[in-house]
Amino acid sequence: MRIVVCAKQVLDPDAVNSYAVAGRLEIGEDGRSITQAAIPRLMNAYDEQAIEAALRIRDGGIDCTIAVVSAGPDQAEVLKQAAALGADEIAQITCDPAAIDHHVVARLLRAYVEHTGGADLILCGRQASDDDQGVVPALLGEWLGMPVITVARAVALDDNIVRVTRVTPDAEEVVETTLPAVVTISNELGVPRYPSTAGRIAARRMQASVLLPADLGLGDDDLEPAAVVLKQFVPAVQGNCEFLNGDSPAGLAAALVARLRADQVLL
Amino acid sequence: MSVVVCTFAVGDNADLAAELLTLARRLASDAGTDLRWLVAGPAHPESLQKTGAEYGVSAIDHINSPEVVPVAPDVSVEALAQYCASRPSETLLMSQTFDARLVAPRLAARLNAAVVMNALDLESDGITLRVTTSAYGGDTRAVYEVAATPRIIGVLPNATSPETVEGPAPVVELVDVDLSKVEERIAVVERREEEGPRLEDAQIIVAGGRGLGSADKFALVEELAAALGGMAAASRPIVDEGWAPRAQQIGLTGKIARPALYIAAGISGASQHMAGCAAAKTIVAINRDADAPIFRHARYGIVGDCLEVLSELTKAVR
Repeated sequence: MRIVVCAKQVLDPDAVNSYAVAGRLEIGEDGRSITQAAIPRLMNAYDEQAIEAALRIRDGGIDCTIAVVSAGPDQAEVLKQAAALGADEIAQITCDPAAIDHHVVARLLRAYVEHTGGADLILCGRQASDDDQGVVPALLGEWLGMPVITVARAVALDDNIVRVTRVTPDAEEVVETTLPAVVTISNELGVPRYPSTAGRIAARRMQASVLLPADLGLGDDDLEPAAVVLKQFVPAVQGNCEFLNGDSPAGLAAALVARLRADQVLL
Repeated sequence: MSVVVCTFAVGDNADLAAELLTLARRLASDAGTDLRWLVAGPAHPESLQKTGAEYGVSAIDHINSPEVVPVAPDVSVEALAQYCASRPSETLLMSQTFDARLVAPRLAARLNAAVVMNALDLESDGITLRVTTSAYGGDTRAVYEVAATPRIIGVLPNATSPETVEGPAPVVELVDVDLSKVEERIAVVERREEEGPRLEDAQIIVAGGRGLGSADKFALVEELAAALGGMAAASRPIVDEGWAPRAQQIGLTGKIARPALYIAAGISGASQHMAGCAAAKTIVAINRDADAPIFRHARYGIVGDCLEVLSELTKAVR
């Protein structure tokens, strides 16, 4: 059983939020990149949960190899963390960062799976916290001919069947499909583990296999992005908040109810 | 450039279709082209024509097959792929519902099309498409340029306010698709439906966040919601803590609501959360921290202890 987990590095979304809210988020001269050096780089939290889902499958006694793969620049830290958590293999696909969009990433990952022994189960985070696109798992699954199950809170394997508990807006459901399959993991999976000290030490000895697009049989056409980010900006929020005054919580409550009635928001 | 709006008769409600058609009409008129509307699933042709006329649609294509529902991704992708093969178009727009979040990119992969999700606005010069999307949980907007065709765009709910126009009733053309060879590969073995009213339909919502301090205080949120005849909701952090059920989570990864009144108690107003409630007509924020970002979105603000204010508000409306 080979489990492939796709992971990537993002800017810490909480730090981006703090800077954005304070009106101090810096966009670089290219008009599209956030340039603050002070914002930490982390593994995308949903991808961390995807690794956790793989580790729980292994903890459950399934004999499996866990391969964590990352495409694009600056992925060394993510892969080191994956190794420390217990990945059996780590792989980095490098290519010109200018040429990376979600279509290219999905093509690189597809080629990785096809060229490195396939996959019985592919686990991905439900989306990346930077672009929020969440399309790579669907592209990957469709191109590989695998069914795609989204937003999992639990994943279990039973022979060649994967059983997934997923959180939909109006139900919690358990679904099944036959492997191979792609499953995307949501935060409802729960808090992922930290690497152990032994894991960290072992990870120092693990080398990532570094692959170029050409190693995976991809040519220039495959690296042509279809959607290019032209610019990025912080949206303006119209602040017209009227702060209510009152000498007590009861006074504040009365003032609010009076306003809402005057506006006919409350009858 | 041709623009096709795709909606599901079952799965996309009338509001979503109205928003999407409004956005698409503007795009089509920018690009100097007609607007086609593809409806997948059972629907009455007359009601489609009526809606089509209201939103300036020039032609309606109808896949009148009851099995084409977005919760059935294999069937939906196959049906839409057959449609796209028989009537090629450059830009196809879908409402980004929970299920469309999978159907749209899978269809794109099938067609070798470009795909961009989380769209809030679209612009075209007739050739390239510029898609303004929400990124970083709503903290930023990323503008994508998509030159490749075909392209499939997922548009976020509440991105536009519907606007009707007077137009002639469009012709409805039935589109045949052959779904005999496609079988859903994913089987639902167990399903527990959420019961009762939906946050998406609520007119009044009272939501609580970390500022409540502890799980038992969520009752104060529920009491005020009940007193107002509304629904209680929660931010993601307290749902993760187990203080409130998952079904009540408002935000990017929860429910996207559009109530007349949204009272946020002890919620700081992270973009993640605001993505689920920013379209509320009136937002009231109660927070100890006068600098909390929620106040930038609020019409009325109360700086103070949300527990005390919640109980006093409940008394005041009772």
